[in-house]
Amino acid sequence: MIQFRNGYYADIRVEDRCRTVISYKAGALEEMRNRREKQAFLRVYDGKLWYYASTTDTGNLQKTLDGLYAAAEENPEILEDPVVKRFEKNSDKLYTFADCSVREIPLAEKQKLLLGFLPLLTEDSCVVLPMGTYLDRSSIFHFMSSLGADIEYDYQTCGISFNFSMAEGEKQFQGFWQKGGTRFEEMTSIGEELREAVREQAAFLRNSVPVEAGKYPVVLSPQAAGVFAHESFGHKSESDFMLSDESMKNEWQLGKTVGSPILSIAECGNVVGSGFVPYDDEGTKAKKNYLIKNGILAGRLHSAMTAAALDEGLTGNARAIDCTFEPIVRMTTTYIEGGDLNFDKLIAPIEKGYFIKTINHGSGMSTFTIAPSVSYEIVNGKLGRPVQISVITGSVFETLGLIDGLTKDVELLSFVTGGCGKMEQMNLPVGFGGPYVRVSSMNVQ
Amino acid sequence: MEKEFLKETHHSVTLNVTAGQIDSYRELEKTTGTVRVYENGCIGVAGCLGEPDEETLTAQATDALSFGIPYPCSLEGAAEIIDLHDGEIIPVRELIPAMKDFLERLGAQCPKMAFSNKIRLEYGKTEYRNSLGRHLLSSGRHLSIELLAQNRGSGNLFDMAFVWQGEHFDPEMILAQFKQQYDAFYTPAEIQPGRWPVVAMPQDLFGTTLQHFIGDLYAAGASLLSGKLGEKVFSEKLTFCDDMNPGTSFETCFFDAEGCVAKDCRPVLVENGVLKSLLTTKKTSSQYGLPNPGTASAPYDGVPSIGFHGCFLAKTAESLKELVPGKAILLTIASGGDMTPDGHFATPVQLAFLLEDGKLVGRLPEMSIGGNFFDMLGKDYIGTVYDWPFKKVQLAAVMMDVN
Repeated sequence: MIQFRNGYYADIRVEDRCRTVISYKAGALEEMRNRREKQAFLRVYDGKLWYYASTTDTGNLQKTLDGLYAAAEENPEILEDPVVKRFEKNSDKLYTFADCSVREIPLAEKQKLLLGFLPLLTEDSCVVLPMGTYLDRSSIFHFMSSLGADIEYDYQTCGISFNFSMAEGEKQFQGFWQKGGTRFEEMTSIGEELREAVREQAAFLRNSVPVEAGKYPVVLSPQAAGVFAHESFGHKSESDFMLSDESMKNEWQLGKTVGSPILSIAECGNVVGSGFVPYDDEGTKAKKNYLIKNGILAGRLHSAMTAAALDEGLTGNARAIDCTFEPIVRMTTTYIEGGDLNFDKLIAPIEKGYFIKTINHGSGMSTFTIAPSVSYEIVNGKLGRPVQISVITGSVFETLGLIDGLTKDVELLSFVTGGCGKMEQMNLPVGFGGPYVRVSSMNVQ
Repeated sequence: MEKEFLKETHHSVTLNVTAGQIDSYRELEKTTGTVRVYENGCIGVAGCLGEPDEETLTAQATDALSFGIPYPCSLEGAAEIIDLHDGEIIPVRELIPAMKDFLERLGAQCPKMAFSNKIRLEYGKTEYRNSLGRHLLSSGRHLSIELLAQNRGSGNLFDMAFVWQGEHFDPEMILAQFKQQYDAFYTPAEIQPGRWPVVAMPQDLFGTTLQHFIGDLYAAGASLLSGKLGEKVFSEKLTFCDDMNPGTSFETCFFDAEGCVAKDCRPVLVENGVLKSLLTTKKTSSQYGLPNPGTASAPYDGVPSIGFHGCFLAKTAESLKELVPGKAILLTIASGGDMTPDGHFATPVQLAFLLEDGKLVGRLPEMSIGGNFFDMLGKDYIGTVYDWPFKKVQLAAVMMDVN
């Protein structure tokens, strides 16, 4: 039983994480491991400074906590501190994956599942280096605070990632496809999707032509739209960047028009997938938050520290990649809400433009970038040849205002590789997605 | 049965900076242990977080042989090399007051900017042993100041970064250099579109080219370099290595995850324009008959995989002025670019400065730059200079298309 002291705020986050990695390259087993790690992150706050420690010695948390208390300064008024006053005091046991824990599935069964899909990678002769990796993660969190919070909950992801380098004559292409989810059984029927992805990317290798650089209408797939929402606006909604400069509060006043009236971007930790965060790493319960609603700046993402500094409410976005780091303001699942068109109607008015189907990566500052993988030209309202594009780019605010069409259906995606990077904390699992999104003009290179 | 044992210890003290003030103190100590065993053409691996019990790990690694992961046993031979760089940079108890003072002075000399992010004191130690009698021990440490700067009122996440890493904290020198960059940020400059020398840290220019040096892709014919081992494919001026040398790198380990120690601790990929080796492990080297330069990395509980620790380009000029006389573009933030399958590279540039005869003149508008893989490392490669703006900082120069 942890003894918290009066005169300080303190919390402890313990994660018991199991992770399986099985990978094959060119038909040979490359890796097979089942890692189990238990770590804790402890925080003490005295109203002036935060003191943090990370430990693997989870049997001696009291000793580590007492070390932090010794460094901090007792503050009889700590409960009146605006940060401390914001913390929620939730008590809960929320086990979403108890009936399907990947911990209970034998390694051999996971290996067999992966092996079953590998032959699909080499059905086309252009695949010269087929690789497949099965990945799962099961985490059990326990959060306790000096205010009485006591929460246990779980998190799970499961998926398969395929890389298939292609070469034919002088032509080369790095093929990639993955399926991310939360349950093992979701992975058992992905064969046809994988086969189609390989077929499409082989056609891209053989038939793609260089893009004619310029400004064009662009249609983004749910994947590309999700990355755009995440990179272009999601990061700007992370309030910690507003703390450094008073003038930022004026620049980012809620109610300001920041995009097209058909655009709404939402953020929610309750979406079951790689961005599932039912409680954040400060014990705040997840809820749906609008960042943009009908083109108007509607909200932003907070930790307790940023919420107190900006005098706003908690949003459930204080997250750390693991128990090595302190929670900072991060996204969970970020998505653009749907509109009223179908895909054919969305591309119909475009005389010459491009459709970005899959992407390699994206980034966002005042200018956002998306590096596409598979893209197509749009000619007279129809999809045309596959095209090679290095990067699409634009001013964030200008582009948000140029969104002029959305499909009705929205697709939310989960991932088992990669993730979001923010300064020292890389590869945080997040989810994103959206409808197909039409932008009237973007720089295409 | 042959065996390797590794132990890594990492200790860091990190201060978080918000609005130019320190608001948190974090102390982290992490130890990991690894045992790899080899038998009948297979590898077994076991690892742990925390102080390793070699006997337990050996038993677990032996059990893992049953997975049947093929891996050749070709351990490095007996040797004892110890290279420790663990002198104190600044006492931990003095870190907060020293950095408070530094931040106050920085804020006073750069009033139009608001600073955030991290100041970090890091120590690392790695030990490698194998059953052939090899024993390697390496340690290193550095202090890093990595501050993001917001131009007050810009509305941006950040507008500029002030970064310094070193083993000797000299606030006067660091503040003087940051002031030069600050002044240049507020001095508008122009340059016409066209072809210009672009100067940047090597990873910003050449990071996307690294995939073509991966041994597996090379052997599969899926690299732009496939079939060119031993050929002169790049500029005579280009010597390109992985960098594990404490003299030029802040990496804390001079050997790779398989106990390989390269000449000068810099595994060579390209020497005077000739492709000398690819990024491999002992496994891929053996599988494809490629030379193994010694660049492997490995998770503490996993099979060795291809790694790259840091970029080293051989020096070709003594000063920035000698490298790029006249006008040139100093690229400092270029995020989001990529290379097409046929080797065309393009990236937007979020922050760049005009250089004239090696001196910072002013800030250029946002732009985009582009080039071709073979040209950027070949006929368009100008060279590399060291020691500007700080010791150990490399800047490479390439002639590129600027729009």
